[in-house]
Amino acid sequence: MSSLPEPVVSVTRLSKVYHSGFRMKRIRALEDISLEVEKGEIFGFLGPNGAGKTTLIKILMGLTEPTSGTAQVFGRPPRDAKAKARLGFLPESPYFYDHLTAREFLGLAAKLSGVQKSEAAGRVTGQLRLLRMENAADVQMRGFSRGMLQRMGIAQALVADPELVVLDEPMGGLDPIGRKEFRDIIVDLRDRGKTVFFSTHILSDVEMICDRVGIVIAGRMVEVGRLREILTGDVESIEVTVRGVTGKTQKILERVSQHSLKSGDELLLTVRSEEEVDRIMAISREVGGIRVVGIVPHRRTLEDFFMAHVAKAGGTRD
Amino acid sequence: MIDRISGIALNTFRESIRDKVLVTLIVFAVVVMGSSRVIQPLALGEEAKIIKDIGLSAITLFCVLISILVGGRIVYREVEKRTIYIMLAKPVRRWEFIVGKYLGLMTVLVVSLVVMTAAFYVILLVLGVGAPLYLLLAVLMTLFELAILTAVAVLFSSFSTPITGAVFTFAVYFVGHMSRDLKLLAAISPSPVVKAVSYFSYYVLPNLANFNIRPEVVYGVPLGPSALLLPGLYALVYTATVLLISTAIFNRREF
Repeated sequence: MSSLPEPVVSVTRLSKVYHSGFRMKRIRALEDISLEVEKGEIFGFLGPNGAGKTTLIKILMGLTEPTSGTAQVFGRPPRDAKAKARLGFLPESPYFYDHLTAREFLGLAAKLSGVQKSEAAGRVTGQLRLLRMENAADVQMRGFSRGMLQRMGIAQALVADPELVVLDEPMGGLDPIGRKEFRDIIVDLRDRGKTVFFSTHILSDVEMICDRVGIVIAGRMVEVGRLREILTGDVESIEVTVRGVTGKTQKILERVSQHSLKSGDELLLTVRSEEEVDRIMAISREVGGIRVVGIVPHRRTLEDFFMAHVAKAGGTRD
Repeated sequence: MIDRISGIALNTFRESIRDKVLVTLIVFAVVVMGSSRVIQPLALGEEAKIIKDIGLSAITLFCVLISILVGGRIVYREVEKRTIYIMLAKPVRRWEFIVGKYLGLMTVLVVSLVVMTAAFYVILLVLGVGAPLYLLLAVLMTLFELAILTAVAVLFSSFSTPITGAVFTFAVYFVGHMSRDLKLLAAISPSPVVKAVSYFSYYVLPNLANFNIRPEVVYGVPLGPSALLLPGLYALVYTATVLLISTAIFNRREF
């Protein structure tokens, strides 16, 4: 792990409390979150809907202030224009100016991001070509589909060629082809030395492209690290299928396993260890008429990890 | 800085100019000016003055409506549609955003004023009632008044909903035209509460009646340079102050 003196994004013990409604009910959106994103990595910020992902991103974009703790982007406070000049941001379900054309809007994005006038037109055309939006370049955006808006969103984030790209649920609402396109764009950004920070509740996105992930549930960071460190290669469980099971043998076998599922004369048993598999094998040899027809080891997936944490945190949200 | 402000202003201008509300209001203003001919039988020889007065009043009224209706939602709409996330994530300072929005809307109003005034002069020429250029002074004063009113609309828009904003801006416009009455009320009212409220409104709300020189120009009353300069200076200072307050509020907002 190459450690650089200054992380691109640095969040320390960050908390955010909202006051909502007439009675000013306290809503704790984030609690004691710490993380660092290093240069050149794809960092996946993973959590179920309502976990606080967007709140953290809004704090990093200087849209909202934390209640306590600090957030820094390129070593500066998020509201600092010098920090913002080096990043591109795609908000969740982006919405743009209905009456502007794609080209006008990207021109505005380039201008606001400080792209030189002489370069702006070229950059805009380049983005339109990259995202296959050339045909719609001079059409007002009010007629754009979800996928086109999402592509405009990434185009405006990338038009100034930023060092850090922050994407809030970039794959949300996209079809499988669109998702693939976005994954390719993200991986390409990393290959060009950019840093990507993106949030998602979709596990497969993260498993496929992220270098490191942070998992947030109910406003708390439950894990930050490299995917392969979080998902150790250990076997989590083993599924053993036994055929020819009758009511009596089923009871004996179920005593060994954590979980069982009967289907016809087959019994699917879930066990934790190889010793338990040996015991099932032994039982099958002792009791006549049954035999083990399948043994499938299950390694821990991100989904298991995620679900385990969600279950643990279940009901604790306030 | 100039680039960013002008970018936001141009964007605001483009959005507004392509909006149906604006076109409708301009067309309606021209229709009202043109129809002033209808009241000719009632005018008893004063038709030229009445046509000019109606025309100038229509220009002011419809520009005020544009300022309140478009201005009242100008910042709110960015928040509601979350375009503000994209704007403020760029290296744009919040005050630049407010000033850009304001200048964009003022550009819309200047263009509207020019279009309406041109239509007004065409109508005057067609009706053959004479089209003296000094009528433009009244239009200029309307521009000063709009500068203040639009700043007030942007102020309300920076923290309230369009309807609340429009109602409050209209209230400021309405009370702003009764400033003299307010001062009088404050002087003669026995109630200390009424006195306090009236004085407060008199000193805090803009004195918009100063910008109405329509009777003077329609009746050809000569105006000295101070009649234009002082209101111009007043408009500049008042507008700057209101935009400063808007920025202070907007700076504290969380999205």
